Amino acid sequence: MNPESVASELHENERKIISLLKDRGELTVDQLVDETGLSRDAIERACDWSETKGIISVSQKKRREFRLTEEGRQYAREGLPEKRLLQTVGDDGIEIAQLKERFHPLDIALAWVRVNEWGTISGGKLKLTTNGRKALQTQVMDEKILHKLMESPMEEELLDEAAKRKITLMLKRGLVDVSEATDKRVKLTGFGESVALSLEHISDEKLITQLTPNHLRYKEWREARFQRYDVTLPAPKVYPGKRHFISQVIDYIRRFWVEMGFKEMKGPILELAFWNFDALFQPQDHPARDLADTFYMKTPYKGRLPDERLVSRVKATHENGWETGSTGWQYKWDPEFASRCCLRTHTTSLSVNTLAGLKESDLPAKFFSVGRVFRNETIDWNHLMEFYQTDGIVVGKGVTFRNLLGYLKEYLERLGLEKFRFRPGYFPYTEMSLEAEVWIEEKQSWTELFGAGMFRPEVVKPLIGFEVPVLAWGPGFDRIVMRHYGINNIRTLYSNDIGQLREAEIWVE
Amino acid sequence: MPVIEVKLSDFLKLLGKDLSIEELSETMPMMGVSWEGSSEDSFSIEVFPNRPDMLSVEGLARSYASFMGFNTGLRNYKVLESDYTSIVAEEVRDVRPYFCSAVIKNIEFDDSLIRSIIQMQEKLHVTHGRKRRKVSIGLHDLKPIKFPVIYTTKPPEFKFRPLGERSEMTLSQILSDLPKGVEYAWILEGMARYPILMDSKGMVLSMPPIINSEHTRIDEATDSIFIDVTSTDWKAMNEVLNIIVTTFADRGAGIYQVSNKYPDKVVASPNLKPREMNLALDYVNDLLGVNLTHEQVSAYLERMGYGVQFEEALKVLIPSYRTDIMHQMDLVEDIAIAYGYDKFVPEIPPIASPAGEDPLEIFCRSLRNLLVGYGFLETVTFMMTNRVKLFKKMCLPEEPVAEAENSKNEEYNIVRNRLIPSLLEVLSLNKHHPYPQNIFEVAEVLILDPEEDTGAKTAKRLAVALCHAKSNFSEIKSVTISIIDNLGIRNINIEPSDITCFIEGRGMNVKVEGHLIGYAGELKPEVLENWEIEMPTTALELDADALYDILAKCRRRV
Repeated sequence: MNPESVASELHENERKIISLLKDRGELTVDQLVDETGLSRDAIERACDWSETKGIISVSQKKRREFRLTEEGRQYAREGLPEKRLLQTVGDDGIEIAQLKERFHPLDIALAWVRVNEWGTISGGKLKLTTNGRKALQTQVMDEKILHKLMESPMEEELLDEAAKRKITLMLKRGLVDVSEATDKRVKLTGFGESVALSLEHISDEKLITQLTPNHLRYKEWREARFQRYDVTLPAPKVYPGKRHFISQVIDYIRRFWVEMGFKEMKGPILELAFWNFDALFQPQDHPARDLADTFYMKTPYKGRLPDERLVSRVKATHENGWETGSTGWQYKWDPEFASRCCLRTHTTSLSVNTLAGLKESDLPAKFFSVGRVFRNETIDWNHLMEFYQTDGIVVGKGVTFRNLLGYLKEYLERLGLEKFRFRPGYFPYTEMSLEAEVWIEEKQSWTELFGAGMFRPEVVKPLIGFEVPVLAWGPGFDRIVMRHYGINNIRTLYSNDIGQLREAEIWVE
Repeated sequence: MPVIEVKLSDFLKLLGKDLSIEELSETMPMMGVSWEGSSEDSFSIEVFPNRPDMLSVEGLARSYASFMGFNTGLRNYKVLESDYTSIVAEEVRDVRPYFCSAVIKNIEFDDSLIRSIIQMQEKLHVTHGRKRRKVSIGLHDLKPIKFPVIYTTKPPEFKFRPLGERSEMTLSQILSDLPKGVEYAWILEGMARYPILMDSKGMVLSMPPIINSEHTRIDEATDSIFIDVTSTDWKAMNEVLNIIVTTFADRGAGIYQVSNKYPDKVVASPNLKPREMNLALDYVNDLLGVNLTHEQVSAYLERMGYGVQFEEALKVLIPSYRTDIMHQMDLVEDIAIAYGYDKFVPEIPPIASPAGEDPLEIFCRSLRNLLVGYGFLETVTFMMTNRVKLFKKMCLPEEPVAEAENSKNEEYNIVRNRLIPSLLEVLSLNKHHPYPQNIFEVAEVLILDPEEDTGAKTAKRLAVALCHAKSNFSEIKSVTISIIDNLGIRNINIEPSDITCFIEGRGMNVKVEGHLIGYAGELKPEVLENWEIEMPTTALELDADALYDILAKCRRRV
């Protein structure tokens, strides 16, 4: 490597370090921080870069450092207890019993007085020895160390043997703590020396880091060199504005239906029970109509039923089959019950509403919807009271059960499912009824995805006036979204955690 | 839907075949039940509500044996004549009007049968019987009963000894003190006299639909029983009796007919004569998209337990325990099941029809894409909320809104009529994430509207909330105006707004030709405090329906 080209690519901070090292020889990182006024982080990063380029060598050296503990600092301020005890004894000695009340901490002080052979106890009385009297006059080694440590930590390397012994004792006594630190020492390598030299030649030139309008306006960039960047370094994260992932999936599903030639149907989320249930030939005492599963409204409580002809047909079909060839449910149908308002429990309410508006000349026809549906569920990891559903109907003479399977197969494949099956199912308004199930490899079992079928004549004929096959389905797709995004808790789908939304990958299909 | 538990050994004995749990779990769902799981010696399945005949092990085994081809075609159940008589008194007409009964003899009660019968009775009560309101079943030891049996009513102070009790109790005591009484008292609420079934000596058999008497308790020694079914629905009642008696017959017991004497008629029960239904071959083939012959269709029907007679057309004999056959289409489904749902070749038909999205939805997507362009993050929130979130925290006066009468979650009992509170809730839950947090949603709200047939209108709104240290009125106004500019709407007026969620003097209304189409402003610190948001926040809400209508009108002018 050419020292000059290396010198020209240096970061500003590297240049500062190199010129310091050139003047001062070896320095620690601490010293570099002090000298440059840069942050430790910046210095360390610059050192790393320079080391990688072979400009500097970094050596690490462990050192042990002693500092005072809280107790140590207290004694440095107030004096060692054993020393303070000496001061209270006096020439004639003192009764231990007397000390007990006046002196604290007596046990510690006495113990050390005895270890240092500063005093003797006889007949319940403490008397000073010669050593003790001498100690009283002078600053003992322990005290000297305490005071020094009070000012700054001491490095083990700089202590003499006697001081080391003392400090070891003080460590045991809990007055001193030891900490281990690593010194990073930095110096120029041989190559570094030549880089430092070339640096002198170019440091007069203007070096541009951030290009500014002024550089351009006043053509400053012509005389300057551009600092080369290490393009492999990490850059700060940015988050784009983004569609919610469910919203992206909904778009995908809409596009799918349109590509398959379906027209969108729309309708209200608050519906008459008539459209949500009765028009679907669900008997009024059917458990699915229970308060337990459906949000019936307090406000608005009741609505207006559609035109009388339609209502009377639906009523007759429930009661005796009307002209559908069916026996019907054989009970008395109650218009009051049908005019209750509820939040739609499925978007199939839209499908029947759409059917009711079709004329023979509109056929064949294919419709889809995507919309919010509501179930009176207690919320947990597996249940929500609101979610999305996509309904579809195909209405036309000659459409068959095999056609139903054809559309569903295409839908499932387009959503990325590979192993699925159709098995018999049950809905009061379809016949054939089926459940689409997907194979869950981890669980080694089939899991229900959604139901579908062909509308019963008891549904179709009262609405549209004649008999015609209608293929119908109403899948929810929360489970598929959860699988795609690796979400286990269904609540997470609608929790709008901004972190999750920022990180969520976009739907690219 | 009801789930029944089945003992494997018992099931295989009834089937007369040796199959593994794996084989069962593979094949059974294709017959039309859900496989719910298994242990070493039992499995559980969910029975669809249209097939109460499979709520017993016997009924399940019967259908499965057919489906698998072990024993196909119509089963002939013989009903033996007898002198047993039940009398239905006139008084029951206003209480619980329908009654039928049967006698079963030569029963070998063992543990499996008892368990199966109890399970079936319980599930029939819940499903077909609508928690006993519609149908309830009583099983009695035949021996102590002195015929004729009388179905009548008695006053609340009438006494008998209920099943499992040491002494006699009055009917009102039974309803208030016994667990079963408490559980089902609602069915008899408001009645002056209660249904009672007794024999000719005055010994009580039961108090339908609440509890049997101790007098006719069934035990291990019982080999003959009397079955009563009381109901408010003639059809459902007979269906239930047929399901029960055929279950016993599958265990080798004999069925005896009882004459039920109503004041105006005599009806013998059970009646196990199959119903007949004609079926056209073309109808089957047209619906399924296949090309089956008469012979094939007959074979498939027999696999589902039907009898078939073929003269000029197919005449299908429907077993008396099948309650769900209302229309030829029901037969077609059974043919499809026997054919195998997995055998049909899926095929998309070549149908051309006009396709496309709803224009309002296309418009909403354009709005969303525009808002993403500002760098805002889209949220998808619930429409259901509560008054605290919608009004109180927002410092807004309460407004009439759509309200559910029975929500299981108190937190979600009304439907929102504006969008901004949903966005503030999102912000309040995301305080741990870095700012700025600029979010938006284009979604539905519900507005009460007496003009609508349902009394409420589903409306589309657009809302934005900008939450960061420098968010201010000028920023939200810029965004509002920019959105409207980008839509090409030029004739707007901005007026001060007195909507109370904004700082006074920092809220604005957006109007087009005098109509309010939205509002925006800087949220009051009080509102932010209520949501525990510690960051200046501004918000806007626009009526997407109105924006769409304005644009549609412009387009028409062109």
